[in-house]
Amino acid sequence: MTTFTDPIGQHASADDPRIMLDNQIGAFEAVPPYPPRTEREAEFYSLRDGEMFINMGPQHPSTHGVLRVVLKINGEQVVDLDPVLGYLHRGVEKLCETSDYHHVISQVDPLEYVSSLFNEWAPVMAFEKLLDVEVPRRAEYIRVLTGELLRISSHALFQGWMALDLGGLTPILYSFIERDEIVEMLAAITGQRMLFNYFRIGGVNGDLNHEFMSRLGDWMSRAAKQHEANIGLLNENEIFVRRMRGIGKVDKDTALRMAVTGPNLRASGVAYDVRRAHPYSVYPELDFDIPVRGRGPEGGDSLDRYLLRLDEVRESLRIIDQCLHAMPDGPIMARLPRLLRPRPGRAWAAVEAPRGLYGTYAISDGTDQPFRMKIHDPSFVNLQLVGMLMRGNLIADTMAVMASLDPVMGGIDK
Amino acid sequence: MDRTLRARLEKRFADRMSGPVRQRHDTTEIRIGAADLTEVMTALHDEPDLEFVLLADLAGVDTGDHMQVVYHLWSARTPDWLRVIADGLPRDNPRIATLTGLWPGAEWMERETYDMFGIIFEGNRDLRRIYMPPDYTSFPLRKDFYLPDDAARSPGGGVRHMERTHVPTGTPGRVARRTVKA
Repeated sequence: MTTFTDPIGQHASADDPRIMLDNQIGAFEAVPPYPPRTEREAEFYSLRDGEMFINMGPQHPSTHGVLRVVLKINGEQVVDLDPVLGYLHRGVEKLCETSDYHHVISQVDPLEYVSSLFNEWAPVMAFEKLLDVEVPRRAEYIRVLTGELLRISSHALFQGWMALDLGGLTPILYSFIERDEIVEMLAAITGQRMLFNYFRIGGVNGDLNHEFMSRLGDWMSRAAKQHEANIGLLNENEIFVRRMRGIGKVDKDTALRMAVTGPNLRASGVAYDVRRAHPYSVYPELDFDIPVRGRGPEGGDSLDRYLLRLDEVRESLRIIDQCLHAMPDGPIMARLPRLLRPRPGRAWAAVEAPRGLYGTYAISDGTDQPFRMKIHDPSFVNLQLVGMLMRGNLIADTMAVMASLDPVMGGIDK
Repeated sequence: MDRTLRARLEKRFADRMSGPVRQRHDTTEIRIGAADLTEVMTALHDEPDLEFVLLADLAGVDTGDHMQVVYHLWSARTPDWLRVIADGLPRDNPRIATLTGLWPGAEWMERETYDMFGIIFEGNRDLRRIYMPPDYTSFPLRKDFYLPDDAARSPGGGVRHMERTHVPTGTPGRVARRTVKA
């Protein structure tokens, strides 16, 4: 094994024999074949004695999509790293500027494909603010009900992924049982298993039906027990716990300054949840707690972030239970014209997605297409923590830290 | 709408704002010049009666006439979102100060805005493209970005805004690009 001992600032060029070898076997070059664009890039791609680059991704099973990370390592220790994004970039914001308000819903659906109802929720809420529409109460309850179901399915999947990244194969199979039950349930009212395209400006696309209700009733009768059983499968596993405890600590102040939101922020001791901080929909009427962990001065570690999501599942089950009891009768859509032309203006709406604050900033210029639509995805911001948390850790812990932040590349790359 | 927040902002930033405080739904909006950004944001973040500790979003906007950078902030002191619009960046050389001193997490958001609009955030240590490849030269979310759409050049072209406004320069019948008063 040859180690890179380039002098500082000397970057490999295209005719470098090492790069040629990499090209021949179809691998990625760790060192980019162009001069550094920023000081930080120059600093990163210069090696000190004993250091070398190792390329992880973009086709790596534990990067949750197509993320590429260039690791600078010294032996087994990660010295620094440089995430490379953009492999899934589809230009959704540009597409939204050229599709009318109803089309936007299907454009944003595939962004964060694990919990796509939340991708629809934020833009739909922003457009409702632009149009000053009041959403019928039944529609709001259905939104909360389906949203919380999807949150459970997303967190269940997280639990399995987390174990998978640490080498445990079994839990993901149980996760997919839960997820399958929930997506089948949602498929009964939306017709889709993944990209639901269900929320509409002013309401939802279809009312609850018999198949949904019978599946939901069936599932609810054993969901809490099943959740505890899944927890029992992992939380008492000594290897699992010891690989997460004390790894990737984030304190309260750092988390806020890194603009982290969602479970990752709450696991660092900040009780910030958009559902309570900026109540939207019918959340003010519902009784649920905001679980917080890692209140100590050291903040929360990977294990806290994992456990916090399990706490959230319990709260979501409480919300679903209340929704079913309080579900009012009435229409599920506000009366709106088919072609929407909101008056010129600006609106910002944010929802609490399973990964954090999912926001949309929409500008209307009076036509039937948004003039500008900014989509704020929580995973994009949360992923920045990886660079900070990984320094000094072992390569094997890269997986534990990254999995505990629960990024989804579809949303990060937009 | 939080009336007390409005009063506080009007009192504190009277000489910095380039327009009235606007309130609609659950959002309060102030508009400042790009040169005052660091000062205003530091005050919003640090002062105990404001304490906007969380940067919820950073968005670039090309109004067709000039550029803006729009920040959304959260504070436990108010039930409102705060929107800060840093206004009046010239389209040919948009420059604004970085916020990575206050929020290191703004680094990627600024990289994204640079990538999409070409807005230079002065002081950001790592301002390079984040989504587009390094040899890419244009800025896709600018309003004069040519969207290579066959429909624009079809016989029916010009019916929708997209087709009207994204025709390459020199095409007969080209109209001015879309603008907005934002």
